[in-house]
Amino acid sequence: MDYEFHWSIVWRHMPEMLQGAFVTLHVSVLSMLIGILIATPLAIAKLNHNKFFSPIATVWVEIARNTPGLFQIYMAYFGLGALGIHLSPYVAVLCALAFVNTGYLTETFRGGFQSIPKTQYSAAKSLGMSRFQSYRHIILPQMFRRIYHPMTNQFIWAILMSSLGILVGMNELSGETQRLQSLSFRTLEFFIVAAVMYFIITKLVLLSTALIARKLFKGEI
Amino acid sequence: MKMLKNIAVIAIALSLLVPVISSADQLDKVIKRGQLNCGVVLDFPPMGYFDRNNKPAGFDVDYCHDLGSALGVKVNVLNLTWGERIPSLISGKTDVVIGSTSDTLERAKSVGFTYPYFVFKFQTFSKKGVNINTFDDLKHIKVGAALGTTYETEYLAYAKKKGWGKNNYTAFKSENDAYLGLYQGKVDAIISTNTNIATKLQTKEFKDYVAGPFVPHYDDIVGIITKRSEVSWINYLNLFLVHQIRDGNLNKHHNTHFGTDAPAGLIQTLRDNK
Repeated sequence: MDYEFHWSIVWRHMPEMLQGAFVTLHVSVLSMLIGILIATPLAIAKLNHNKFFSPIATVWVEIARNTPGLFQIYMAYFGLGALGIHLSPYVAVLCALAFVNTGYLTETFRGGFQSIPKTQYSAAKSLGMSRFQSYRHIILPQMFRRIYHPMTNQFIWAILMSSLGILVGMNELSGETQRLQSLSFRTLEFFIVAAVMYFIITKLVLLSTALIARKLFKGEI
Repeated sequence: MKMLKNIAVIAIALSLLVPVISSADQLDKVIKRGQLNCGVVLDFPPMGYFDRNNKPAGFDVDYCHDLGSALGVKVNVLNLTWGERIPSLISGKTDVVIGSTSDTLERAKSVGFTYPYFVFKFQTFSKKGVNINTFDDLKHIKVGAALGTTYETEYLAYAKKKGWGKNNYTAFKSENDAYLGLYQGKVDAIISTNTNIATKLQTKEFKDYVAGPFVPHYDDIVGIITKRSEVSWINYLNLFLVHQIRDGNLNKHHNTHFGTDAPAGLIQTLRDNK
């Protein structure tokens, strides 16, 4: 390959790249938190065959898991736009990511709940705990410990999928990289640096979730 | 036996020399291959688009075919996005990109530019009733453009100079998405080229829209691009562009795609800038 790499231009634009990386991190962390918050009750509803929420959970999971992320982001931005609902690129990507995360996490959580022996529910009950208390003190802590690894997988996936934000003009890492390379046409250099930054972001996120987990689960994961 | 050995040694030595002697450049390669791989952005009418039969068409596509017939080879038109123009050259997927590429000095550090072959103006496009009398009125409304285009860069530079900030600006992945965004009302106005806007104004979707002020003091002068190192190939392309004007092909295609003869101003700018 007869190509000379020019790296200096990338360093010159590093502040903009870092700004993009921050947006990437921001949107994926937030989408993950929303995902966990919605997926927990949905998984419980699904397990208990709740008449109202269980079908919602099923439809949600089916759509989220069986359609491409690209399509979901496009629908959140242009699909809703056709109905007169205008989300900013950031909100559209956040909604799409949170939607997918919820879908996958619901199934992961359901598996986690099912892996906890039924006897524990009765044991909590016999100790006089209410339904809420038994979930709060007995079931959820164990469930989260068991699904910790699949959950971090989902997290990494959300970070990487946020790069599809480029489709709707979001200024996350990929969008910013695309814009910067068009100024100088140093495409390879900018995208190589972006790839390294994605790698570092995922490693950082894994490290911090491990630290949080160690604190929460007292080292047992 | 010894002779055989000697012959073998000489053969190996010669085979090592061959790449040095026959360092075929891009021009040779294209002629030998019998096919020109020509990259065009088919998202940018009337320069490049898909016609009713879903075949590549447009001013840039016609230039590809002219170049192919000048070289005496078949033409393979590849559809590119704005962002794929450079990777396609570096990876060898295209021999040349005729894709309305603005010839900035920054970009010329990365790719080889020919003489200019066309000149655009950048203009606002908005729904009737949106109040845009001068370019400075954009400050108060939502503005969009396609990501990675020169008009995006120019608009953002202008906004920065005026201290407007980026809050009212939305980037779209492609030219078509920018028009879709405008149509849906995600933005009040977009920046695009005068040529594309003229095409859109003829469609019934955009009959209630108007072209507004030009980006101040800016002619978008575009060239054909190829690998920077292919100097003799660029020489050939330059002569090809001179011939496009001299032989009347520029005028012919201008008539086909813009409905008028090539304006004297356009030809003058092309001659002045080469």
